[in-house]
Amino acid sequence: MLELANVDGFYGRSRALQSVSLNVEAGDFFSVLGRNGVGKTTLLRTILGLMSRTTGSIRLDGEELVDQPTHKRALAGVGYVPQGRGILPAFTVRENLMVGTFAAKDGGGRIAEWVLELFPILKEFLGRRGGNLSGGQQQQLAIARALLSEPKVMLLDEPTEGIQPNIVEQIENVLIDLNRKQGLTIVLVEQNIAFARRASRHFAILNRGSVAVGGPIGELSDDMIHQHLVV
Amino acid sequence: MDIVVSQLMTGLSIASILMLVALGLAIIYGVTGVINLAHGEFVMLGAYVAWALQAEFGMGLLASLVPIFLIMAAVGWLVEVLVISRLYGRLLDTILATWGIGVMAQQAVRLVVGGELRYVQMPESLSKSVTILGATDSAYRLFILFVALALFGVTWVIYRYTNFGLKLRAITQNRAVASSFGINTSRIYRLTFAYGAGMAGLAGALVSPLKSVSPEMGTTYVVDAFMVVVLGGTQSLMGTLASSGILGELSGYLAFYSNDTIAKALVLVAIVALIRFRPQGLFTAHART
Repeated sequence: MLELANVDGFYGRSRALQSVSLNVEAGDFFSVLGRNGVGKTTLLRTILGLMSRTTGSIRLDGEELVDQPTHKRALAGVGYVPQGRGILPAFTVRENLMVGTFAAKDGGGRIAEWVLELFPILKEFLGRRGGNLSGGQQQQLAIARALLSEPKVMLLDEPTEGIQPNIVEQIENVLIDLNRKQGLTIVLVEQNIAFARRASRHFAILNRGSVAVGGPIGELSDDMIHQHLVV
Repeated sequence: MDIVVSQLMTGLSIASILMLVALGLAIIYGVTGVINLAHGEFVMLGAYVAWALQAEFGMGLLASLVPIFLIMAAVGWLVEVLVISRLYGRLLDTILATWGIGVMAQQAVRLVVGGELRYVQMPESLSKSVTILGATDSAYRLFILFVALALFGVTWVIYRYTNFGLKLRAITQNRAVASSFGINTSRIYRLTFAYGAGMAGLAGALVSPLKSVSPEMGTTYVVDAFMVVVLGGTQSLMGTLASSGILGELSGYLAFYSNDTIAKALVLVAIVALIRFRPQGLFTAHART
């Protein structure tokens, strides 16, 4: 469904991602693991076209995205929960959610009720500025915003980083439910191996901008974790 | 009493012209981050289009306002496509490029229509004076005030209450996030630039009956407009409105007690002193990022 073949991603002249090939199936929960600085965030930014240059092939349901500008990739069905959450600070929760709807198929303008039901706190704080929410609330807002874009595949960049434990658990359960019950395809960048193990079906470990090893999550061995993930 | 009212009206008249020029400048800077040094030349070109429509086609100023907006918006659109769109994120390069465009626009006008002063007729219906609370003022200056407020209102509504405005404000906060949600930032930058240029053109057309039209006329306006933007901050349209009002009244008041030149110098000193303590301008939003 989301197929990357020999993808290189560049920041200016330096190549941050080197011939990455991945295949994410429809309905998959795919975790991208690796130590800091190995290119996990870069991989997501490359899929969205936020790099200065990208080569290779990125196909979503057969549609070639690699030459498309970022906004067209979003419209094609790539939903994004960026690192640091990317909440627009001066916008209210409602306005942040509206921005999510712009990438929906019908051009948006409506905030679907079921998304608010997932995160009741957002419903309560619709009129509050995004910049005045706590980290956990911002993360819920970022996930809700991405869902409103009605994505075919949702890319999440460390959604549980720096968030209080009770909200981490809630976010993890929502993501697992979205995948298992609604069949949403998810690509998750994560340092939290326990969560990745619990949620994913497949994984890939990045090292120095390339895929070092990957496969069904059952094959993620302690050896691999020791070699590629433990600091 | 009538002196107070008359002073107030003079200040408002200066303020309305300041705002017309500054609004386009503030929008372009606020959305695209481009400091448009050619803005004064957009004002000048607007005045020349008003003159040309009058001299060549006998069109009255009022009837030409909409065509002037459209023509200048097209000019702005073209400048964005040909030059600015290649330079986003390169502040110094955009300053140099827009300054160059300004110089070229001045020289082009000099070559095509000559350097001599041109005059635009005031609309007949507005050439009388009116009396407000004992003070007389020209109907045309009141008309400019009215048009300035109306244009501000239109801009405000677009900015606050339309999906286009929401997209615009999303881009000003985080371009990468905005484009990650399907917002075509290049298209919105282009439209913003066109709109700002159109507004500048209208400002030029509206002041053309008050002052003579010349190739250099834009320079003075753009300096004043920059002061408005610096004072008001670039984050809010209300800041532009309020700081135009403050600077207009202040210039009018100081000019009454001294003269225009000293007034201008004192206003500049006041702004320099103010940005020493509030570099972000007077009117800025506070939010955690």
